[in-house]
Amino acid sequence: MSRAGAERAGSDGIERLRRQAWRAFESRGLPTTRDEDWKYTDLSRLVATLGESWWTPAPETEADASAWEPLAVPGLEDARFVFVNGRLAAAPAGLPDGVRVTRLAEALQDQDEAADALGWDGNAPLASAFAPLNAALARDGLCLEVASGTRLEAPLYLLHVSAGGGAAHTRHLVRVGLGARAHVVEHFASLNGAAPGLSHPLTRAWLAEGAELIHERLLMEDKGCFHIGRLEVEQQAGSRLQSASLALPKGLARVDIVSRLLGEGAGAALDGLYLADGRAHVDHHTHVAHERPNCASRERYKGMVAGRGHAVFNGKVVVHPGADGTDASQYNANLLLSRHAEVDAKPELEIYADEVQCSHGATVGQLDEAQLFYLQSRGLAENAARNVLTFAFAEDVLSGLESDAVRRHLERAVLERLPGGAALEGVI
Amino acid sequence: MLKIENLHVAVEGKEILKGVNLELEAGQVHAIMGPNGSGKSTLSNVLAGKPGYEVTAGSVTFEGKDLLALSPEERAWEGVFLAFQYPVEIPGVNNIYMLRAGLNAARRHRGLPELDAMDFMGIVREKMQLVEMDESLLARSVNEGFSGGEKKRNEIFQMAVLEPKLAILDETDSGLDIDALRVVAGGVNKLRSPERAMLLITHYQRLLDYIEPDAVHVLADGRIIKSGDKSLALELEERGYDWLLAEAR
Ligand SMILES: Nc1ncnc2c1ncn2[C@@H]1O[C@H](COP(=O)(O)OP(=O)(O)OP(=O)(O)O)[C@@H](O)[C@H]1O
Ligand SMILES: [Mg+2]
Repeated sequence: MSRAGAERAGSDGIERLRRQAWRAFESRGLPTTRDEDWKYTDLSRLVATLGESWWTPAPETEADASAWEPLAVPGLEDARFVFVNGRLAAAPAGLPDGVRVTRLAEALQDQDEAADALGWDGNAPLASAFAPLNAALARDGLCLEVASGTRLEAPLYLLHVSAGGGAAHTRHLVRVGLGARAHVVEHFASLNGAAPGLSHPLTRAWLAEGAELIHERLLMEDKGCFHIGRLEVEQQAGSRLQSASLALPKGLARVDIVSRLLGEGAGAALDGLYLADGRAHVDHHTHVAHERPNCASRERYKGMVAGRGHAVFNGKVVVHPGADGTDASQYNANLLLSRHAEVDAKPELEIYADEVQCSHGATVGQLDEAQLFYLQSRGLAENAARNVLTFAFAEDVLSGLESDAVRRHLERAVLERLPGGAALEGVI
Repeated sequence: MLKIENLHVAVEGKEILKGVNLELEAGQVHAIMGPNGSGKSTLSNVLAGKPGYEVTAGSVTFEGKDLLALSPEERAWEGVFLAFQYPVEIPGVNNIYMLRAGLNAARRHRGLPELDAMDFMGIVREKMQLVEMDESLLARSVNEGFSGGEKKRNEIFQMAVLEPKLAILDETDSGLDIDALRVVAGGVNKLRSPERAMLLITHYQRLLDYIEPDAVHVLADGRIIKSGDKSLALELEERGYDWLLAEAR
């Protein structure tokens, strides 16, 4: 988003930005499968379930801690923020030194901030149908600022609880200062018996020179919840993004992750692990823009697709003119665990520079029969052997996670979903 | 303990085993030798329950039970173990976790309490010494990046931990260096017991110098064409298979 937006922002500048955003959304409308970016994700289910005004914000919901506490990742309480239907419901008593947290509404008081905070990327290649909608309607969220030189070890934990009954448009802003390090865990879960709803979070992050951001998204909403999430990161020289999208929704989820490498020597490592079973639909779109020389990006997305699940992975890498010395790799592997499971994987490389190293690979396969027999011959029951191999498939992504608490929570959730998986607890 | 009668097995419509008969008593060690492609691994795999083989005739009885009716894991729980000719690599699955899961599943099946991590590691340490296995291999993924010899050693280590009633060793000696062969054979000898039967598949008489068999069988073209005592192995070493094959015709 350009600074022009800020210049226009007067006393009613924010409302003006919101209206602009709304018009941008309206003029484009809800994407259909005729849009290249939405070819495999049919949003007509969203309208059929939530109605023509599917975007209508959910009413404020009083949910007490006893309702959402069981959903939370244990061990991350110290810096835990809880949102219920997109409204902040609980915040930690204190925060580590060097961290400043304000709420979105407060951050918007600062007219200079407003443009960044409510901006959406108008650049054609990064355009999104939903980003303007989020800018127009997001009322709550956090502005996390980590001061230069501050190196946070423990994660800031953002738990988003869906109670349903409408849309939750949340918007978080993350600023990581010079040489600073931040770790943010965004977790999405549904209240027991939640009504259908839309979870629509967007996070924008700015990494100053030498900054480091670890972003882990844990997506575990129920069947009735639609999830449209987005992470946009702008990275200055020598900064590093480590993102993990861990998605096991029971309904429809679409996650967009955008990394813009805007300074020399910046790096992005994007990991993903998804499980689509039942009738779940999980769609990841990543976009890494190498805009300056000598940046590195690595993507590793792994998916398990079972039942009548459908997984989509679209990894786009654009190497801009002049971005020599780019090193980009992308790998997407899918494990088909049933005959009716479906996978659409597509790498998209656009290279406008010389002297670049780019590689990509995508696989769709099944469990290895010889390995399965080997484990059974050693006494593992067939189900257990299948689950062990399924976990082995995911092992490199799991062990690469920064937060052990997140990893354990994820492993348990995956086990619960695999047939006969509960028996494996403690073995893996 | 094991009774194979008139076993016929086909793979993808092609008949590989053409009427195998073999009987093995508890405490006995039998060796099976035979030319490449004669069906030795096929027989091992069928006994262990590998999918993809069609038993067209015959039967296999193990301790009075119809072995062919059991799943691979049920056979393992009943005490059948196969040391593979070509052990597969399983990246991401820890050697120790696999063994503990397998052993505890077998113990549950036998109505025994499961072993906790401490007790299990005690057994592991003891059995490791039996085959002089390097401790660093235990912490690794199953066979991943193991040398040929290390894989074979790992198979015998697993056999030692799982304590089967019937052990089928498919060319465990192939790929072992001279010292390793002595160590592994020594380990196998220590595992000989009156309750345990072993089927040794090998191409080399040398192994039988270390592990003395009670009987030697020659499998050729899907049939056992000759059986004898250990002197048969010495004769084969000297004369090869041609004379036997001619005799069989
Ligand atoms: N899956 C399969 N498809 C087709 N043919 C097969 C298959 N498996 C085995 N065979 C064939 O069956 C025959 C017996 O193979 P097997 O592996 O049992 O021989 P072997 O006696 O163990 O040989 P070696 O001494 O070389 O290990 C061979 O001709 C082999 O090519
Ligand atoms: Mg063989």
